[in-house]
Amino acid sequence: MALAVIMTLFNLVFRLFDDKSSQFTINMVFPIMLLISIGLLLTSGYSGVVANVFSINAFSTFLFAIFTAGFFIVNLIAFSYSDNYSDFAIVANFALLGMYLVSAATSTITIFIGLELSTIPMVFSILLSRRSIEAAAKLFIMAAIAISVLSFAIVLLYGDSGSFALSSYSGAAVAAFAGILFISALGFEASIFPFNVLIPDIYSGSPAYITGMLGGMNKKVGLIALMQIFILVFISDKQLFMLIAILSVLTMTYGNIVALVQKNTKRMLAYSSISQAGYILIGIAASTQQGVEASLYQIFAHMFIFIGLMGIVAMLEKNNKLHIDEMIGLNGENRYAAFAMALFMLSLIGLPFTTGFIGKFLLFFSAINANLLWLAIIGIINSIISIFYYIRAIMAMYTEKSGGRPMYMSKPLALAIFLCVAITLVFGIYPQPIISLAGNAASFLHP
Amino acid sequence: MLALIVILPLLLGIVAISFIRDIAKMKYVAIAAGAVALMLMPLVSYGTTSVNWFSIGSFGIDLTIAVTPLNFLLLSLVILIGLLVLVYSSGYIRSVFEQRRFYVEMLAFETAMATFAVSGNFVVLFIAWEFLSLTSYLLIGFLYHKNSANRAARKALTIIFMGDLALIASIALFWNAFGTLEFAQIIAATQIAHVSVALYSGSLLLLFAVLTKSAQFPFHEWLIDAMEGPTPVSAYLHSSTMVKAGVFTVILLYPLFRIGAVGDLLFASSAITLVLATLAASREMHIKKVIAYSTIQELSIMMLALSVGAVLPAIFFFFVQSFYKALLFFSSGVAMEASGKEDINEIYGLNANRMLYISTLFGVLSLAGFIPFSGFFANEGISLAIGNEYVRLLLAGISLLTSFYIVRWFSYLSRSGKRSQVLAGNYVSASKNMIYPIAALAVLTLAASGLFFSITGFLGYGGALSYLSLGNSMPFSATDSVMYLVIIAFGAALGYFTYYKNSIKIGIGYLGRIIYTGPIVNLFYDLIAVITSGFSSGVSEFDQRLSSFYDRIGSLVLGTGGELRKASVGNINYYAIIFIIGLLIMLASFYYLVIV
Repeated sequence: MALAVIMTLFNLVFRLFDDKSSQFTINMVFPIMLLISIGLLLTSGYSGVVANVFSINAFSTFLFAIFTAGFFIVNLIAFSYSDNYSDFAIVANFALLGMYLVSAATSTITIFIGLELSTIPMVFSILLSRRSIEAAAKLFIMAAIAISVLSFAIVLLYGDSGSFALSSYSGAAVAAFAGILFISALGFEASIFPFNVLIPDIYSGSPAYITGMLGGMNKKVGLIALMQIFILVFISDKQLFMLIAILSVLTMTYGNIVALVQKNTKRMLAYSSISQAGYILIGIAASTQQGVEASLYQIFAHMFIFIGLMGIVAMLEKNNKLHIDEMIGLNGENRYAAFAMALFMLSLIGLPFTTGFIGKFLLFFSAINANLLWLAIIGIINSIISIFYYIRAIMAMYTEKSGGRPMYMSKPLALAIFLCVAITLVFGIYPQPIISLAGNAASFLHP
Repeated sequence: MLALIVILPLLLGIVAISFIRDIAKMKYVAIAAGAVALMLMPLVSYGTTSVNWFSIGSFGIDLTIAVTPLNFLLLSLVILIGLLVLVYSSGYIRSVFEQRRFYVEMLAFETAMATFAVSGNFVVLFIAWEFLSLTSYLLIGFLYHKNSANRAARKALTIIFMGDLALIASIALFWNAFGTLEFAQIIAATQIAHVSVALYSGSLLLLFAVLTKSAQFPFHEWLIDAMEGPTPVSAYLHSSTMVKAGVFTVILLYPLFRIGAVGDLLFASSAITLVLATLAASREMHIKKVIAYSTIQELSIMMLALSVGAVLPAIFFFFVQSFYKALLFFSSGVAMEASGKEDINEIYGLNANRMLYISTLFGVLSLAGFIPFSGFFANEGISLAIGNEYVRLLLAGISLLTSFYIVRWFSYLSRSGKRSQVLAGNYVSASKNMIYPIAALAVLTLAASGLFFSITGFLGYGGALSYLSLGNSMPFSATDSVMYLVIIAFGAALGYFTYYKNSIKIGIGYLGRIIYTGPIVNLFYDLIAVITSGFSSGVSEFDQRLSSFYDRIGSLVLGTGGELRKASVGNINYYAIIFIIGLLIMLASFYYLVIV
């Protein structure tokens, strides 16, 4: 059980002395070993609590697995496009550990530490890329504000129940007040409107591989923390869930509408990932086991789509082709990248036989079953709106242009994108394994 | 599940064409895929197969393939005409570089439509519907270097995606109302269920989706613009795919369209479309658009028949219309290629190629509704099955105009003119791959009449369609037929003498004045044209004009101008303030929710 955590720690110590390529090897080998051990955990169905601060069960193991896989792919991209991979490799490991902590948390303190541990290393990794100090400063300051609000919320909750454990609260107004503060604090971590105004700035200011990790993994950690706290503590408070439903509508609408007018590919994708966070909130707002299951599936789906997209953006960034008009003729310049990007975008629209479709289907389905038909309908309207900006980009890529120079993709990047494409297609056509895993995971939040 | 055998070769064709290197061989691969699919048709057997795709807890999401006689009819139509379209395309698409893209898109389109034809629940229907929208968008915008083609594709996409939205919302509502997505169970339940709000609004939204797909008022504009696609695409789109999907959905889920005012709305929409499209076809000068308006008109006749309960003639019309519609489009393609023009004023000399001429004449006579062509039985059956005298009167007038405009169209094409010699050479040397499918369709147009005697037996087989209460035989009455024939003969004669012989001018001039310049007709037509084209182009330019649109809406509603867009410009104080404001809003809501 503890094998996973020990491995990460061992990994960290070991690499402090090493150069770039051997660090890459370590960062490749360890996630695979981690995935194998997580796979063993999943099949053995182990569950237990460690020192009352975190527990290993189907929920946390499922998240371990997808975070590790995401980490693996981000490393492939970073290795190709990072100026100083060695620094990133170490820092990213801390972030991964933070993600593990949040996934396995049984107390608010663990969530607090985990969130810090997953966010602050990202500040450093942006700083270390020496390109975007401004984005790092923004991330840091906003994270500091969010974390102070979060700690206040934790204290209020402690005052109510007398413990840090994630268990039902008494129903007192003070504790509900804590719930509001949790939404605000995690609103930044999970990019929920109106706490997300900074997110596109950070995303477009950071190098693409870090954006991939931020948007694909870090923001998902925020959503998972939100899920744990609200399902385990505030489940009886329907008004808070109504608030989440409203925030979900605002988040997805904001993301989609602003994405429509973006002229920069990376920024457009940043807003689209905000709208995706809105979709994921639908499942949390449904507050049923099905809803959580749907949210987990969509977290899985969007993580790999977003990381894959950022892999292609990393390549475009290197060629200075981030403006949306410069996407014209991408098919002639790199057929593979254009295909993958079109597939990811179609998946975000929700084309059948991709993970994006299944995720949205599950989300809307759970909303309808939780008597939130209006929420499902608004979600559907939003996905139709999103078609316009995705299809514009796809059209641009497949428009022929004379004089385009071929663009080359490094082998690790090609592998990373291949993995994302494979995940998007395979689990879109045959989604049952992931749905079952997510269903098992969800059942741990709904005993 | 055997129905999938038919789809498999098409998929294999797509894969093969994607990987094949030799451009010249692609068309043969595509035709082979279509031909194998057609040869496998006899293996399809009636029945329903369901496969669990995935399940969420105890809810299973199934993929259901159903083959009833109705599904079989559409499937065979799609596959048969698909093959002819592919053969025709092999003569039509000459450009070397476009072959791969064209055949992949075309086979994908055919696959989507074939899947649609055998859908047995809303999951499969939705998937097929979505792929149809996407592939049709690609095909309409196939000539992407033409600005008009891009605009047309975007317009089609906008309207069709509005329909998709309505469809998926209606599916959600049906799920709410019935707790199942299987057609068989939904149909069984609608016959006993009381009408809940969810069911009622679901049906209305489904109607909305169907009207967009089948190009009925007020969504008919996109189909005219869709002419921008290559001719084989128009032929396929108009005859057996895409637009038929809407009508087919109405037949398939007929009980849902009998709820409350849904049927009346369908009636109103199709009646308006009928008048509009017929008038427009009579004054249109673009060779393909005349045929396109006639498609819209025929779709509205089907819808009209369905809305008043004449299901069997509607199905018959649904089937036979495909053949002569594809035929006429094919002929237009040849004529356009031979003359290099699109205006019928400048196209003539079609009679140089005998086979083409006679085949096209078959199509024209069938569209006009002459005996013994299949169009006669369809129109006559619908007119007889409709009880209301006023509607029958309307249909009689429409028949008159129909035979008038199609004979007018044909007269233009078969006149002789200045460049007759040159054009004659072009017609005679037209690719055989284009002429033979036309001849085949002419034979099919005639042969389809035979279905008149066997359709009830065919559809009644197995009893799967009993919910449609089809009756025992197609309606037929000798006296009525004679009256009908006299009416259309009059219309045809008007067209012939005005546009071919140029002999009668006065009487026709009067009629023409009414149609072309009659103040009331014109006013009505202009009004409708303004409403519909304003509506659809307004929506279709949505994404181009979005920036200014937002600014205006923003300043109107929020009083913030471009603030929303500028929201992320880089000032950290600004963000912190927004965060705090957000927090304050949260606290206010907390106050409202918990304390008050």
